[in-house]
Amino acid sequence: MNGNLYKPLKFELTKVIDESPLIKTFVLVPEEEFSFATGQFIEVTIDGMGEAPFTPSSSPLETGQLEITVMKTGYVTDHMHSMQPGEKMGIRGPFGRGYPIEKFYDKEVLILGGGCGFAPIRSLLYNLIAISDKLRKVTLCYGSKTPEDCIFKPYIQELRETPKFEVLRSVDQADGNWSERVGVVTVLLDNVNMDIKNSLAVVCGPPIMMKFGTMKLLEMGYPEHNVYLSMEKNMSCGLGKCGHCMMGKYLVCKDGPVFTYDEIKDQPHIWN
Amino acid sequence: MNSISIPKQEWDEKLIQSLSSHEIYAPLENDFSCDYVKLEADTVTEIVYNKPKPVTPLKKFFLPVKENVTSIAAPGNPVAIIGTPNCDVMALAFLDEIYLDQEYTDPAYRQRRENTTIISTDCLSIREHCHCTSYGIDPTGNDHSDISLAVIEDQVILTVHGPKGEAFIQSLGIIVTVEPEKGLMQSLGEMHSSVLEQLKEQNKGLPGYEETGKLISANGMESWKKYASTCVSCGACSAICPTCSCFLLIDKPGFEKVRQLDTCQYPGFERVAGGEDALNELPERFRNRYMCKYVWKPEKYQLKACTGCGRCIETCIGQINKNELILELSK
Repeated sequence: MNGNLYKPLKFELTKVIDESPLIKTFVLVPEEEFSFATGQFIEVTIDGMGEAPFTPSSSPLETGQLEITVMKTGYVTDHMHSMQPGEKMGIRGPFGRGYPIEKFYDKEVLILGGGCGFAPIRSLLYNLIAISDKLRKVTLCYGSKTPEDCIFKPYIQELRETPKFEVLRSVDQADGNWSERVGVVTVLLDNVNMDIKNSLAVVCGPPIMMKFGTMKLLEMGYPEHNVYLSMEKNMSCGLGKCGHCMMGKYLVCKDGPVFTYDEIKDQPHIWN
Repeated sequence: MNSISIPKQEWDEKLIQSLSSHEIYAPLENDFSCDYVKLEADTVTEIVYNKPKPVTPLKKFFLPVKENVTSIAAPGNPVAIIGTPNCDVMALAFLDEIYLDQEYTDPAYRQRRENTTIISTDCLSIREHCHCTSYGIDPTGNDHSDISLAVIEDQVILTVHGPKGEAFIQSLGIIVTVEPEKGLMQSLGEMHSSVLEQLKEQNKGLPGYEETGKLISANGMESWKKYASTCVSCGACSAICPTCSCFLLIDKPGFEKVRQLDTCQYPGFERVAGGEDALNELPERFRNRYMCKYVWKPEKYQLKACTGCGRCIETCIGQINKNELILELSK
C-alpha cells in the first residue's frame, strides 16, 4: 500500500441493487486500479459522515469494479442506503488476511452462511468457481430470517447450475411459496454429506449463528484447524493500531479477519 | 559505548545556541510538579535533570490528543527532548512497534520520530509509585534513547547511542571529548545503586511483569467487579499512560480524517454496528486494560506494555492503586 494509509481512494457509485428490504449491493468503480484477495476487507468512507468495514461481495478476480453488499444497521449504512449512482465513496485497504485458497485444493468445502454474511461468501464462491478444477466439491448452506431476506437470488440459481457446487437454504420463518428447509441454518448441516477427513468448513454470518454453526461443525467431526471463521469486530483503522478490534492477543483487522477456530478459541469475546 | 563529560555551564551555553536551529523541550519545575516545556534561552539553566518523572508521558510528542492524519504538515525545525526517564523511553520503544510497523508505518508518527532526538536522563532519585525495576527496566542509562545523560557535580556525562545522537552532539558543536573522571563515575555508580535499593524497598513484594500477567489472567470476574467499584470510566489512566495509544478516527468533509486518542475504558469502544459490545459493562472494560497491558500486548509484541511509571495510580480519581491491586492478587 502506497501513500498515506489514512487517505481513501475515491470510487464512483455506478449502480445500486436492492437485495432485500434491508440489504443493498453497491457497485463501485475505482479512480485508480484496485484489487483484493477474497476474505480481505475494506474501509468505506462516506464523506464527512463516517467509515465502516465491509468485505467485498464481488469477485477478487474482477479489478475494474467492486461490489459491497450492505445491511442497513447503523449511522453510516443508513446513509449509504440513501446514496444514488454518480455519488462518490472513499475506500481504504484492502486489509487483513483473507481465505487461504491454496489450502482448499483437493478438498470438499462446506460453507455455512447467514444473513448478510453471504456477502464475503459470494466473493469466496467466485474465487472457488475459478479454481473448481482443483476442488472436489463445494456445498453452501445459507440461512436467512424469511424468504424475503434471502439475498443474491439470481446468483443462487447460477450456482445451482454450476458443476461441483450445491446450495441448501433455510429460513427461520417460511411463507406459502417457500419450498426449501425451515429452521435455523444449522438444520441444513443434518442433510449434508461431506467427507469430513477431506473437507474444510467456512462460517460467516451474525455472531450467534457463527457460534452455533461452529459448535455443530465440531460435533460433526471437523477439526478446529479446518473451520475458518470470518470475524466481525469494530475494525476502524485497518492498520493494527487503533485497538478497537482487539480480540485478546489478536487485532482482527490485521491478524484476521479470517481465523481458524483453533487460533481464536482461547481468546475472549469471540462471539460478541 | 564510551561516555564523555563536559562542564554543565558549557552544555547550557551550547543548548542556548542551538535554540535557533532546534525546538528543545525539557522538564521544568512548576508550582505543582514538573513537566515538559519548550525551552527559551532563560530557561535552559532550569532544566530538571536526574529526577523522575514529567507529569505528561513522552507519547504526547508523537501522538497528539487530536490531529488530522490525512493532511500532515511538513516537519519544522529538528526537535530534541531532554530529560526523559527510562520508563518513558521504553514505552516509546513499545509505541514504535505499533506505529513504525513495517507493513503499515504511520506517516505522522514516523515523521515526528525521525525529526526528534531523545536525550534520556538517569533517575538519581525516585518518586512514590515508581516501579520500573519491578518490570526489569533500569532507571539509569538506556541505549533505546539517542543520548543518555546524567548531571553530577557540575559535569554533564553524555553517552551517545546512535547516529541521531551523534548528529545532535555535532550540531551542538561539542568537539572536545573528555572522558569523565573516575571519581565522578564512581559517585554516579553509588547513586545508581542507591536508587535501585530505594526502588526495591518501595516495591517490596510486588510481583514481576510476567508473574503479574499470570495473576491477572487467573483472576475471576467477581473480584474485577470489586476492584472496579470506584472506577468511573473517565479514561485518565489511559490518557496519562505512556503506552496506551488506541485512537478513534473521525471523518471530516473532503474525505479528511482526524485521529483522536481513545481508550477501551470508554463505553462503546468495541461496539459494532449490529449492537454487540464485548466491553459493555464497566468491570469488563476495567479488566480489559489490565489484560491488554500484562497479557495480550506482551504476547503480541514481546515487549512490556507497562513500564512501571506509576502515573495511572497518581491520576486515578477513584483512588485505584494498580500496585496495591496486584499485591492483593498475589496474596
